[in-house]
Amino acid sequence: MNHISRLMSLARSIGFAVVLLIVLLTINLVLNPARFQPGSWGALIGLAAPLVGAAIASTPVILAGRGGIDISVGPLMGFVNAMLIQVLFLKAGIASPLLVVPAALLVGGLVGAANGFLATIVRIQPIVATLGTYLILTGVTLTILPAPIGPAPAWLKALAGPWSMLPLAAIFLGWWQVRRLPYYDQLMAVGSDDRAAYTAGVDVTRVRFIAYVMTGILGGCAGLMLTALIGSADPNIGPTYTLIAIAAVALGGVSLAGGRGGVAGAAIGAIDIFLLQSVLTTFNVSTFVLQIAYGAILVLAVMLTAMQERLAMRGR
Amino acid sequence: MADRASDFRGLIVHDLVIAPGASPIAKRIAPGEIVGLAGLDGHGQEPFLKMLAGLDPPLGGSIALDLPAGPRQITGFRKAVSSGIAYLPRDRRASGIFPTQSVLDNFAISTLARDTRLGLISPAARRARYESYREKLSIVAPRPDAPITTLSGGNQQKVLLARALALQPAILLLNDPTRGVDVATRHVLYDVFRGLAGDGMALVILSSEIEEILLLCHRVLVFRENEVAAEIAGEEMNTETVIAAMFGRAA
Repeated sequence: MNHISRLMSLARSIGFAVVLLIVLLTINLVLNPARFQPGSWGALIGLAAPLVGAAIASTPVILAGRGGIDISVGPLMGFVNAMLIQVLFLKAGIASPLLVVPAALLVGGLVGAANGFLATIVRIQPIVATLGTYLILTGVTLTILPAPIGPAPAWLKALAGPWSMLPLAAIFLGWWQVRRLPYYDQLMAVGSDDRAAYTAGVDVTRVRFIAYVMTGILGGCAGLMLTALIGSADPNIGPTYTLIAIAAVALGGVSLAGGRGGVAGAAIGAIDIFLLQSVLTTFNVSTFVLQIAYGAILVLAVMLTAMQERLAMRGR
Repeated sequence: MADRASDFRGLIVHDLVIAPGASPIAKRIAPGEIVGLAGLDGHGQEPFLKMLAGLDPPLGGSIALDLPAGPRQITGFRKAVSSGIAYLPRDRRASGIFPTQSVLDNFAISTLARDTRLGLISPAARRARYESYREKLSIVAPRPDAPITTLSGGNQQKVLLARALALQPAILLLNDPTRGVDVATRHVLYDVFRGLAGDGMALVILSSEIEEILLLCHRVLVFRENEVAAEIAGEEMNTETVIAAMFGRAA
């Protein structure tokens, strides 16, 4: 009974995204059975992973509410990509995963802390603060890496192939632990109503700051997955993930007002977008049409979620 | 926490100024006492209560907890909470409940650290803690994991009261606690308040209803123009005297 009700509430919070997932998965399986064979799952997941990672990374600050958003996730992924290949691997000759992975997370965490400092302590509006970081990171990335360069260490490329589940599994395991921390309840409370959270004794600024740091660390992780996928360094790919990741988060039922939704929803939203991309490219549709489709689906999803909520309110 | 409540010998309000130019207020609130705050809307009773809670900084004077080790100054909200002062806000929709969260999460938010095992939250411990308050306050909720917005206003208020009581405070500050609450629930709350005072807790209740104050409180501070115009207790405490003080007339 308890488990069923929990599943129900999970389905309600993700709702439309799950339905879309099933529909798109079916269409993909019918249209393109070869691509979705178990044998190619590794590569397929590796292909979807950077977007899933970017969507998950965007989630904590959005959950923290009051306009919390981090649009610098995409450029951060590009920056991490450039740092790992150009600076660590090619210049310093460091290839060990024991150094590269912590370096990626550290870079992410530091950028997240900078965003958090600007947005929660200096109190610049999050979208403006992270727009600043967006521009700075894009510029710095192009300065250290004016043109694409390769290759990447072999173990890293394997993370987009046979081992592509590993980084995503690590993220989900990590988040599952976060969910069991007192911090998670505080995060959701702050996102739900920050004044009430303050009166309940929650340190709102600290909770929001940590959310930015988490977004940064997860963004570093997404950068790692991006590097694994492209097997090289490219200064221009990272920033393209920013807006599509936020679209995935919204599609996954995470309220941009905060306090509603979660990482699972964001991941499902990202997979939806990936599958949509896959369907449309089977039909050889141009990338412009692809953009139109993303936009239409996003607006539709947010509308349906709002209607569903209104119906639920009327139901009682 | 429990020992703190028993050690506490009262709340000392020392020459507190709540508005520019108003004369200072000096009061002492003893354990086991229920003190009412009355007055026409906007005459200073709400700033007074918020200053006791550490939410607003005083314009002058100080607030301290009388402890055996010496007075402990209340300099801010966090200090107040850690010293054993709990505050129940007035507008539960705007600054009380978390509408997107469950009843259980709404209850536990102030006392998250109590349910942790090795740093991780134990849902069973939290549920058990909630159950004890649910019984004490007779909260009517379908399930603890139901959204708080599915509860009636009175039950939402009880969950907020449970949240404050879970802090095991020595002093409970209530800002119009029965506003928008049905009569049956009101009487449950009154019994709870009396029970808490009987256990040695000090309660300060701001109420917009004089009947409520007359029914519950041992004494009432009537505010007028940001000063305590009258302090009425015992036999003299009735509707006429309180209203007269509210309007600044001699009774």
